[in-house]
Amino acid sequence: MAVSVKSYTNRFLVIAILAIIAVWASLFYAVLMDEVYDNIDDGLKNQKLEIIREAYSNPDILENSGSFGINQFRILPAGDDKFLEKNHFSKELVYMPYDDEDEPYRILRTGFYSKDRKPYQLEIRTSTVEEDDFLIDLAFSLAVLYVVIVLSILVINYVVLNRAWKPFNKILDNLSRYRFGSTVPFVPVTSQIKEFNQLNEQILRMIDRNEQLFQQQKRFIENASHELQTPLAITINKLDLLVDDESLGEVPLTKIAEAKQSLLRLVGLNKSLLTLSRIENQQYHQVEDVNFNQLIKNLMEDLVDIVNFREIEADIIEEDIFITRCNKDLAHILLSNLLRNAIKYSPKGGKILVHIGRRRIAIRNTGTSEALNPDYIFERFHKNTQDAQSNGLGLSIVRSIVENYPQMHISYTFEDNMHVFSLLQSEN
Amino acid sequence: MKVLIVEDEVEIAASVREFLEKENFLVECATTYASGLDKALNYPYDCILLDIMLPGGVGLDILRELKEAGRKQAVLILSAKGAVEDKVLGLEIGADDYLAKPFHLSELLARIKSIIRRNAQHGEKLLTYKNVSLNPERRQVTVGALELLLNRKEYDILYYFLLRPQRLMEKTALAEAVWGDYIDQSDNLDFIYSQIKNLRRKLRGAGADVDIQAVYGVGYKLI
Repeated sequence: MAVSVKSYTNRFLVIAILAIIAVWASLFYAVLMDEVYDNIDDGLKNQKLEIIREAYSNPDILENSGSFGINQFRILPAGDDKFLEKNHFSKELVYMPYDDEDEPYRILRTGFYSKDRKPYQLEIRTSTVEEDDFLIDLAFSLAVLYVVIVLSILVINYVVLNRAWKPFNKILDNLSRYRFGSTVPFVPVTSQIKEFNQLNEQILRMIDRNEQLFQQQKRFIENASHELQTPLAITINKLDLLVDDESLGEVPLTKIAEAKQSLLRLVGLNKSLLTLSRIENQQYHQVEDVNFNQLIKNLMEDLVDIVNFREIEADIIEEDIFITRCNKDLAHILLSNLLRNAIKYSPKGGKILVHIGRRRIAIRNTGTSEALNPDYIFERFHKNTQDAQSNGLGLSIVRSIVENYPQMHISYTFEDNMHVFSLLQSEN
Repeated sequence: MKVLIVEDEVEIAASVREFLEKENFLVECATTYASGLDKALNYPYDCILLDIMLPGGVGLDILRELKEAGRKQAVLILSAKGAVEDKVLGLEIGADDYLAKPFHLSELLARIKSIIRRNAQHGEKLLTYKNVSLNPERRQVTVGALELLLNRKEYDILYYFLLRPQRLMEKTALAEAVWGDYIDQSDNLDFIYSQIKNLRRKLRGAGADVDIQAVYGVGYKLI
């Protein structure tokens, strides 16, 4: 599962800090204990020196110190077998009345000769750290430290990373808003963070490259369509001249007419492609407030004969006036394509309903087919199977026009057995 | 009637010339900007067919030069570019009409004739064949002395027929002329057929001497 950078780093930090603190704790413990024993042992050695000196000057204590008293040392006569002049340290548990339990003591055992050359054994003891208590204390304070560090890291991470990643989120947001080759350009985000600036720069560069390619491609389509016009014009005109020849019989004449008809389809396709390129190249840049009601009424008037011929019942319901700022020619193409589509795909005796509101124009028509797939119908060259005559560009022209204007939106739905194309306009 | 074709595409110029000569026009051709400008400035034409992209210059500049020289010539722009700006600009500078390539020759003829008619100071403004007359300005058709009421498409179709009586009008050209741009051929051919049927019925009913005759499956002819 993908997690955000914050959780990702946090997860590692939590584990890493735990490991670091554990290692550090054991080191710290070892060093500290070493130092503690070192200190205690030094003290014991010093005490030994003083006691031996005392024993030289005052041999009484040799006899009087047989057991640990308040002095915390004892001197025992030593046999030769046990005698050891070297210092020997050990740790032992000794009952301590104050705590009412055995507590750790550090004990120095050593041998020495008294003034009269008799061997004695000296034992000096002193209370030392309770290692288990110390360990518990250490563990507890380290646990607290760990929690505090982790919490502060989480908080700092949250605050700082939130701030640091703000430009990144902004970049993402801008990227999601950016449309390829559209009027809304990608807006770079300035930030104090070098990486994000680099990211910005690379994105800009990439977009630039792609847009250039896209432009080239568009230009290619436009140029190719242009270049096709002349040979098409020549061929069609030559055929026109041939058709005019009265002496031709039915067979050649029909063949010529058929050839011309095919060429005209090519011309139509070419024109549509050119229109598409022009729309996408923003060649229709003059905008004005266009009254769509009026346009629709004019168009329907133009189309009334064919509507009647196909026995289609067409109604325009004007609830309000739909006015939007766009290019008038494009608005004309847009509505013309939608209305002609509605007429074309209505069966004989079908019904077309144009509903005009302030923010929405819905063009409904009965159809023979079931619901169309709204994901594909606006794609170039997408055709329904039964539709051999269409060049599959009409609706993609519609979409290109709509995409030119951020306030407009087109959608397709299938309601009550009717195909509905809705042209929406957002408040601005 | 004299027409100048300023067009660098020789084949297009040749076709247009052949077609217009058959329609009894006097046709001259220029293939470059310089020769086009020279002819347009120095000789009167009833109509100049002007291509926009020319070797040595832009057709629209010929239009500007004509305007500056104060020469009133009827100009029909022919362009493969078909860009809106060209169209708008051309009409703004003073062209009379605009036709995008590729075009039907019959459509070209219709445009030329309507330009010439509009610019004619005197003379015949009616299209007449046998006892049928059509007044393009008033969109009115008369058979003998009686007015014939036609719907818009029927009128358009009759107009095209009257421009070239006794000549074959292809169905496709008719469909494009009356149905306009962005044509989808299939269903409109049926539509044309039914319009022609109605037109014939109305003409016959009004006692017109003309009839529309189907020519194989290809088109129709006004006889």
